[in-house]
Amino acid sequence: MKTLLKILFTALIAISANAKEIKLLNVSYDPTRELYTEYNAAFTKHWKAKTGDNVVISQSHGGSGKQAQSVVNGLEADVVTLALAYDIDAIATQARTLPADWQKRLPNNSAPYASTIVFLVRKGNPKQIKDWDDIVKKGVSVVTPNPKTSGGARWTYLAAYAYALDKNTKNDAAAREFIKKLYKNVPVLDSGARGSTVTFAQRGIGDVLLAWENEAHLVLKEFGADKFEIVTPSLSILAEPPVSIVDKTVKRHGTTEVAKAYLDYLYSEEGQDIAGKNFYRPRSEKAAAKYAGNFASLKLVTIDGEFGGWAKAQKTHFADGGTFDQIFQP
Amino acid sequence: MKLNRWLFGTIIGTQFAFASFAADDVDIQTLKKQIQELDQKVRILEREREIDQDSAATVAKTAPKVSLGASGFNFSSADSNFVAQLHGLVQFDSRSFFSDGGVNGNDGFLLRRARPIFSGTVFRDFDYQFTPDFGGSTVQIQDAYLNYRYSPWFQVQAGKFKSPVGLEHLQSDPVTLFNERSLVSALVPNRDLGLQIKGDISGGVASYAVGIFNGGTDYNGTTVNSSFQDGKSVAGRVFFQPWKNSDLNGLRGLGFGVGASYLANHPATNSSTGLTPGYATDGQQKFFSYNSGVNANGIGWRVSPQAYYYYGPLGLLAEYVVSDQRVSSATKSAELQNSAWQISGGWVLTGEDASYSGVTPRRPFDLRNGQWGAWQLVARYAALNLDDKAFANGFASSTKSANSANAWSVGLNWYLNKNLRANLSYSHTDFTSYAGSKIAAGNVGAQSENVLFSRLQLAF
Repeated sequence: MKTLLKILFTALIAISANAKEIKLLNVSYDPTRELYTEYNAAFTKHWKAKTGDNVVISQSHGGSGKQAQSVVNGLEADVVTLALAYDIDAIATQARTLPADWQKRLPNNSAPYASTIVFLVRKGNPKQIKDWDDIVKKGVSVVTPNPKTSGGARWTYLAAYAYALDKNTKNDAAAREFIKKLYKNVPVLDSGARGSTVTFAQRGIGDVLLAWENEAHLVLKEFGADKFEIVTPSLSILAEPPVSIVDKTVKRHGTTEVAKAYLDYLYSEEGQDIAGKNFYRPRSEKAAAKYAGNFASLKLVTIDGEFGGWAKAQKTHFADGGTFDQIFQP
Repeated sequence: MKLNRWLFGTIIGTQFAFASFAADDVDIQTLKKQIQELDQKVRILEREREIDQDSAATVAKTAPKVSLGASGFNFSSADSNFVAQLHGLVQFDSRSFFSDGGVNGNDGFLLRRARPIFSGTVFRDFDYQFTPDFGGSTVQIQDAYLNYRYSPWFQVQAGKFKSPVGLEHLQSDPVTLFNERSLVSALVPNRDLGLQIKGDISGGVASYAVGIFNGGTDYNGTTVNSSFQDGKSVAGRVFFQPWKNSDLNGLRGLGFGVGASYLANHPATNSSTGLTPGYATDGQQKFFSYNSGVNANGIGWRVSPQAYYYYGPLGLLAEYVVSDQRVSSATKSAELQNSAWQISGGWVLTGEDASYSGVTPRRPFDLRNGQWGAWQLVARYAALNLDDKAFANGFASSTKSANSANAWSVGLNWYLNKNLRANLSYSHTDFTSYAGSKIAAGNVGAQSENVLFSRLQLAF
């Protein structure tokens, strides 16, 4: 008996001595705080059960473009979960810490969930905002972040642009004029989506917030459905926020295995369920069916179909001297 | 008729009143709208200010930091992963010898040390230091090393730096009690080129350093930047301060340890002798040197038990060294074992705490406000004994070199502030000659050495 106890004790010591504590840094965009807080807890539990190791996951949030630049400048992200592929492309090309074809490594172009851009208005919709045409009217105050720094803002800009093209039979000049009018109605440009939410919901500025769908739902949840309501425009854009490990960083940190597993688990049923619960459009049929009631049906254009991909869209609209610089005058 | 007039007047009056109310309502609506618009403008301005402040805070977080103070110039990236520092040390000394038996050229002023010190960090974990010295008669590189800090308990250092053997020798130059280190430091290696691992365990309760080095001779004031032999030396040191982090005030400043070095083989065929160019007194005069044609030849080792004790204004430092080296001349060979010891102490008269890293005045010198800095009385006794076999085998001349030296020193140190210090000390050294011999006049060991030192020091 004593021998058995000794063996058990030794085994316990060995097991506890072998349990590692692994640290991961997830550098993400602005409105994913709540999603990853819940997801990290689930993954930590999953990984502990699978390997016995403890994973401590740190989150960093901010405007997607700014976050990507921070990673390029040396922020040691193990994984990036940003608002748009272009920002991860920027890391790949400027920092060379992940391969150019990173987006092919995970299903759905490495976007485990999707979202879109909707309108959030004050209760009763005092300005009667129903569609994109209504937000370019004189006297309507629109809140949206700066497309130069925010991924959500770039999706928003392109959604509006796509609507204007659709309405004006692909007339680019008309679409530019439409966008010009829209940004003329924007009194404050925050650097990220969460900042714009603060501007609209907490500071009481503006008549409409052009928001991520998940962010709009979160505002309803946080501030109450008696204060705001969501308006779904007739057309918007299919936003696919992608994820990737940062290869060189995880190799240096020795976290490749756990970082990969962290992203893979986003596609698991639990990961997809958490995405749906946080108002991101899940990819799995099961989770999509479960949360279908949260998401309105609308016409969604794609970045590739409408704008020829992110590289082209970035160059045309958001690069220095691009369309946004031409039409926006602070 | 009167009724008609009254009715007419009432109707007209009512009409005016209605018109007036209607006009008021329009005004109120207009005002409300204006207030709403102004409210939005104020909110927007406030939010813009808020965003500007956030941006400024973000910029401040990423902006490099520059500071200048008693610890020198410091340039640092916002995340402190990159640091560049500039420090300096200038020591302006005087030495006045009394009754020196006609030894010439030893009195005077000298620039003992003049060192710009460039140090810093790159990529968070890699430290560097480069210290040239323009003091004395030759320009030397004192330190030039890289240090990788994996953690406080595991660091890897490579380059030129102090060998981890002697306690007094490892003490930083600006904070030694006297102008010159004692006789005990004559038997430990000076700065050397090599690679060592080192670290502090449990916040300095224990520390260690062990490395492989070119293998320096006994203390040599002039260090080189290349190897003079194929054989390499292993040097190491462990030091303990068991109560460093405890509440036992009386024991917190007690530290003890041992340093050692081992050189497996120094071949006699080297261009360098592998031996000290000479042992020097406090006044830096050579009282012992080997004859020409004598070389280190074989195993050499040193052991140095060492300790210090600091409690309030009291500081004590004691060290013993044995340096053993097999030497040979053209005709003879022998193992020589030289030894030295010293005990030194200080008492800070103004009450500041003494420590291995110096004294920081509580009330820096400020004549206008009647502040005088910190004052410290210091005393030391040291002895160095040469192996008789050095003389018996003719490795050293018994009429030129002393067989032993015993020195006592007293002094007063004035710490004007963290950067400025002035010393005044007196040192007396007696020599003994090898049995049956007498040191000839004109040699340092022929008479006792009496020397008055002074120093003005700037260190930042």
